[in-house]
Amino acid sequence: MLKIQHLTKRYDDTLALDDLDFEVKPGVVTGFLGPNGSGKSTTMRLILGLDRPTKGSATINGKTYHELKAPLREVGALLDAKAVHPGRTARNHLLSLAASNQIKKARVDEVLEFVGIESVANKKVGGFSLGMSQRLGIAGALLGDPEVLLFDEPVNGLDPEGIRWIREFFRSLANEGRTVFVSSHLMSEMAVSADQIIVIGRGKFITQGSVDDLTATAHGTVFVRASDIHMLTSTLTSNGAEVHEINDLGLTVGGLTSDQVGELAYKAGITILELTPQRASLEEVFMDLTADSVEYGGGKIGVAHD
Amino acid sequence: MTNEVTLLSTMKSEWIKFRSVRSTILGMVVFVILTIGLGILVTSLIHAHWNSPGSQQDHLTFDPVSTSLVGTALAQFAVGVIGSLFITTEYTTGSIRTTLAAVPNRWKLIIAKTGVLKISMLLASEIVCFVAFFIGKAIYGNMDPSIPDTLTNGADLRAVVLGGVYLTLLSVIGFSLGMLLRQSAATISTYVGIVLVIPLVLFFFPKSIQDSLTKFEPSYLGREMMSVNPIQNAFSPWVAAMILVIYAAVLWVCGIMVFQRRDA
Ligand SMILES: Nc1ncnc2c1ncn2[C@@H]1O[C@H](COP(=O)(O)OP(=O)(O)OP(=O)(O)O)[C@@H](O)[C@H]1O
Ligand SMILES: [Mg+2]
Repeated sequence: MLKIQHLTKRYDDTLALDDLDFEVKPGVVTGFLGPNGSGKSTTMRLILGLDRPTKGSATINGKTYHELKAPLREVGALLDAKAVHPGRTARNHLLSLAASNQIKKARVDEVLEFVGIESVANKKVGGFSLGMSQRLGIAGALLGDPEVLLFDEPVNGLDPEGIRWIREFFRSLANEGRTVFVSSHLMSEMAVSADQIIVIGRGKFITQGSVDDLTATAHGTVFVRASDIHMLTSTLTSNGAEVHEINDLGLTVGGLTSDQVGELAYKAGITILELTPQRASLEEVFMDLTADSVEYGGGKIGVAHD
Repeated sequence: MTNEVTLLSTMKSEWIKFRSVRSTILGMVVFVILTIGLGILVTSLIHAHWNSPGSQQDHLTFDPVSTSLVGTALAQFAVGVIGSLFITTEYTTGSIRTTLAAVPNRWKLIIAKTGVLKISMLLASEIVCFVAFFIGKAIYGNMDPSIPDTLTNGADLRAVVLGGVYLTLLSVIGFSLGMLLRQSAATISTYVGIVLVIPLVLFFFPKSIQDSLTKFEPSYLGREMMSVNPIQNAFSPWVAAMILVIYAAVLWVCGIMVFQRRDA
């Protein structure tokens, strides 16, 4: 299990992480979601002890990374697939990693075969495509057969086939009872590949939950059709609802639950013809949650009128 | 101990990394060719011109060992580059993060890396220096009976052994500069600056200052370590070796302190 406590990191004048606090449990795929620059990679680097926290800690089964006797046997990580010496062969790269943690050589061939790059094992890494480099990085993460796995934006640069492969791979790791922590800035990606999601923005914790939890807590809307649309509109707005008239037949109501809408209509003597709660899509939830914390928002796109 | 990251396991890992890149292999080839090739060239020239008119003056200062090892003057750049690149490529490729994820203890990592560098450079340098020395000896042959027989007196052995030590220490200096500067180009230029440019600048200083400073230059210390005949304004060979060890050690400690503190 991975535990992040009060994790804070300041780089000169940027507060990259601000008192982050969360846990990542084994047996499920946990998505780590946030807009660009929100601090996902920074969190990963702090977990691996590469950067020093300004405050707080990240622990793996109660130990900091520096306390692990053979870190590759407990934590496997892929931060940047291209961060390999381009002049070294894939096999030599893995052999050097294995040697440091006293992992036997046979394991190198095992992982090379598992990720499907055994045919280029003796080729220099510099010539690898991004997809091949990702696979090599995954092979490195798996070398020590670790319980905890971290992946920073692993689907970047993969083709659809590769993305499917990696999703199934994460799923199978979680099914084996491992802790799988995967970052992404794409909600749509996490919606299909993660069970649990942790959302951060501008270095701050925003929310955590299952995909269903997140959509449920989001402000969904209610679609309603009624006998007297105009009267219903005034009843609802006077009760603080946000109402959009779609046409003469229906309304979209925000700010009230379907139960509340039904009750208000009943009290006002309006016949309800249809009442449907509409869940926000996960993408909308994410935009909503992180709206205040997008570091690099695009400027308004205007069309010139004359 | 069998499943842990130890100093020895880290050294094994670093040895695989050291020998599996072209910069090391090429650097070594250049190093061997320069040292031995230049040695052959210079000793043959001296031999061929030994009896030409006006060479009497040269006979007085003739040093059979340092002329055989003259190639080290160029090889010192090759070994410095090998040492520098061994650490700077970790930064330029970003692989330092993978390395530190496997070996989080930075002291252990740097001690292992330096160990691999020192052992392999010392081995290679000693072999190359002895080969250059024996080739020189064969070329000089019985050129002049007045030259004392080499290797029968300890000074010759000392000069050749310290030649290898000199090159090894210079590779450690290159490595330490790399730890401090992290970029290959900056590190190599600084290294060249220390070995080549400082002596050039000092050359234009007033003679009195020159005489008191020159003997502290790394390359001059090297000459002191490798010569059989005492040279003017110089330390004794062993003192020169000690000074160079201190240079390398100070730079290395500075490098590791910065490395220890910095975010990777
Ligand atoms: N070494 C550093 N020095 C200075 N600032 C840094 C450093 N690393 C990260 N930052 C800053 O910290 C913040 C978080 O960056 P980080 O790379 O962790 O975000 P991210 O969530 O991984 O973004 P992305 O989705 O773009 O990968 C950014 O504002 C970034 O500019
Ligand atoms: Mg990132």
